[in-house]
Amino acid sequence: MLLLRRPGFVSMTINSKKMRVWTLGIIGIIALGMASWKAVDDPVPTGPYTLQYPASFGGRFTIPADNPTTQEGVYLGRLLFYEPLLSSTKTISCASCHQQARAFTDGLALSVGVTGKTTQRNSMSLTNLLWVRQLFWDGRSNSLEEQALVPLGHADEMGSKPNTAAKALQKTTLYPALFRLVFGSDTITDVRIGKALAQFERTLISANSRYDHYLLGTYQLTESEKRGMQLFNSAPSMERNVRGGNCAHCHGGPKLYQEVFHNNGLDLKVTDAGRQVITGLALDNGRFRVPTLRNIALTAPYMHDGRFATLEAVLNHYSEHIQNGPTLSHELPGQTSGFHLTRNEKSDLIAFMHLFTDSTFVNNPQFADPHHRVHRVHRVK
Amino acid sequence: MNVLILRTKTIFSAGLTIGLYLLTFVGHAQALTISGEVSKPLTLQSADLKAMTHTDVTAKDRDGKDHTYSGVPLVDLLKQAGATLGSELRGENLTKYVVIKAIDGYEIVFALAEIDPEFATRTIILADTVDGGPLAQGVGPYRVVVPGEKKPARWIREVKSIDVRFAK
Ligand code: HEC
Ligand code: HEC
Repeated sequence: MLLLRRPGFVSMTINSKKMRVWTLGIIGIIALGMASWKAVDDPVPTGPYTLQYPASFGGRFTIPADNPTTQEGVYLGRLLFYEPLLSSTKTISCASCHQQARAFTDGLALSVGVTGKTTQRNSMSLTNLLWVRQLFWDGRSNSLEEQALVPLGHADEMGSKPNTAAKALQKTTLYPALFRLVFGSDTITDVRIGKALAQFERTLISANSRYDHYLLGTYQLTESEKRGMQLFNSAPSMERNVRGGNCAHCHGGPKLYQEVFHNNGLDLKVTDAGRQVITGLALDNGRFRVPTLRNIALTAPYMHDGRFATLEAVLNHYSEHIQNGPTLSHELPGQTSGFHLTRNEKSDLIAFMHLFTDSTFVNNPQFADPHHRVHRVHRVK
Repeated sequence: MNVLILRTKTIFSAGLTIGLYLLTFVGHAQALTISGEVSKPLTLQSADLKAMTHTDVTAKDRDGKDHTYSGVPLVDLLKQAGATLGSELRGENLTKYVVIKAIDGYEIVFALAEIDPEFATRTIILADTVDGGPLAQGVGPYRVVVPGEKKPARWIREVKSIDVRFAK
C-alpha cells in the first residue's frame, strides 16, 4: 500500500472512494510490468487521481482547469516520460536525462541529447514540481504543460520538429487508444503529449525522507545531524557568537527550497546570465532559481552548470570561495569570501543533508519505467 | 586620424559601459508597477517616486541599530493608482489585500486596511533612501519599511511590484 494515509497528510481528493480503484490500478501497473504480453490490453486504471502530500507542504499550487489529474492521464504520462519515440532519433526519452535512481537527474555536469552536443545547463531533479511556479534554472516556464514541449523540440535534447513525435506515436498500436481514453479522441498532438507528461510529473511527490520523519517526530537526529541542522538554519553572528551557513534562508522549509532567484557567488564575472536573460534586469545578472535540496546526495554534480562533483566541493564554495560580484545575494558573506566553516562543521552539514534522501521516492514502482521489452517490439509498426 | 577615432570610440564605449553600470546597479533603471484591483494601473520610474512627497521613518533594522528611512507612504502610491481607500474601504473592499513582490521572487502581503490611515496608526512607506543615501545593493532600489513591526520580515527589499487583489 503506497498511498496509506499518514498523520499530517493532505489528500487532494476529488473522490475518495476511488482510492480502492487506484490501489487496484497500482497492482495493475505492477502486474503490467511482470506480464508484458497483456500490457496493451490490460484495463488501464481510470478516475480522478488523489495527490497526497504533507499538510506542511501547503496548497499553494494550481492545476490547469483543462488538464485535471486523472489515473488514466498519469498512466499515459508515465509511458510517454519513458518513451524514446518522442525523440528524432528514437533513442532519447525524458528519462535519459531524468533517471529515477538519481532523483530524476542524470549524473552529468551537462546533459547529452540527440545530437551528442551537451545542453547549456545541468539537468534538474524532478521532485515536488506540483508546487513549482517558475520552472527551469532561470524560471522561464510557468506550467508543466508548456515546459514539456521545450525539451521535446529542443535541437540538442529530443530534437523533434513540431508534431513529428505525435505522428510517430499515432502509428503505434498502443497510444491512439490511450489518448482516446484520456482526451476523448485518439488524435495525438504535441499539446496532448505535454498535458499527459504534466499529469505524471505532478505525482512525483517526495515527502518520506528521514528529515520528513524528523519533522513528524518519528526520527531522532544523531548529534552530528543536530549540529548540522543548527548550522543549516542559523545566520552567523559574531556579536551573539552564533555559527551558521544561513542555508535555510534559501533552501529552508519542509520542501527544502524557497522559490526565489539568487546569485550565490559562483563567479565574479558570470558567463551564463541566468535570470537576467528572461527579465532583462541587470540586478538579475547571474541569478538562478534556488534548487530544492531534496535527495541532494543523489543528484551530483551540482549547480546550474554542474561544476561541483561533490557536496564537499559545494561546502568549500560556501565556506571559502564566495565571489563578491555586483549581484551577489545579500544573505551571503561576500566581504569574507564565505562562512569559514571548520572541517567538523562541514561534515555535520553533510550528515544533515543526507537526511534529505527519500529512498521510497527513488524506488517507488509507480514512477519507474512501465515499458517492457517484449511489448516494445510489438508496439512500433 | 585613425588613432584619434579609435580613442574617441574607446572613451565613448567605456563611458557607455560605466554609465550603464551605474544606471543599473545604483538602481535608476528599475521601474515599479502597481496593478490589479485599481482603476489606474501605474508604472513609475524612480524620478516619479522622487518627485512625490516623502515621509521619514526611524526604525531598527536587523542590525539592531536605528536608521532613518525616507520614502513614499504606500497609501499615496495606492491612491494614485486608484485603489479603494478611505471612504471606499468598506464592505467587500475590506477583503482586498496587497501583494508586494521583490526582484528575487520574495513576496509578502498586507491587508489593504493595514495601509489605510483611517484604519492604521502607523505609516508603511516604500523607502528609496536610508540615512540620506541610496539603499545598498540587494536592498534597493526600493524597500518597504513597517514602523513598529517587531520582526522585519515584511520589510521586503528590491521591491518591483505592488498588486491589489480580492480574497476569493
Ligand atoms: C537531453 C537531456 C534532457 C532531456 C531529454 C529532457 N530534459 Fe528536462 N531538463 C534537462 C535540463 C538540462 C534541464 C535544465 C534546463 C534549464 O534550466 O535551462 C531540464 C529541466 C527540466 C524541468 C524543470 C524542473 C524544474 O524544477 O524547474 C522539467 C520539468 C523537465 N526538465 C522535464 C522534462 C520532460 C518532461 C522531458 C521529456 C519530454 C525532459 N525533461 C527531457 C535535460 C533534459
Ligand atoms: C542566498 C540564497 C542561498 C543561500 C543562503 C544558500 N544557497 Fe545554496 N544555492 C542557491 C542558489 C541560487 C543555487 C543555485 C546556483 C546556481 O546553480 O547558479 C544553490 C545551489 C546549492 C546546491 C546545489 C543544488 C543542485 O541541485 O545543484 C547545494 C547543494 C546548496 N546550494 C547548498 C547550500 C548550503 C549547504 C548552504 C548553506 C551553507 C546554502 N546552499 C546557502 C542559493 C543559496
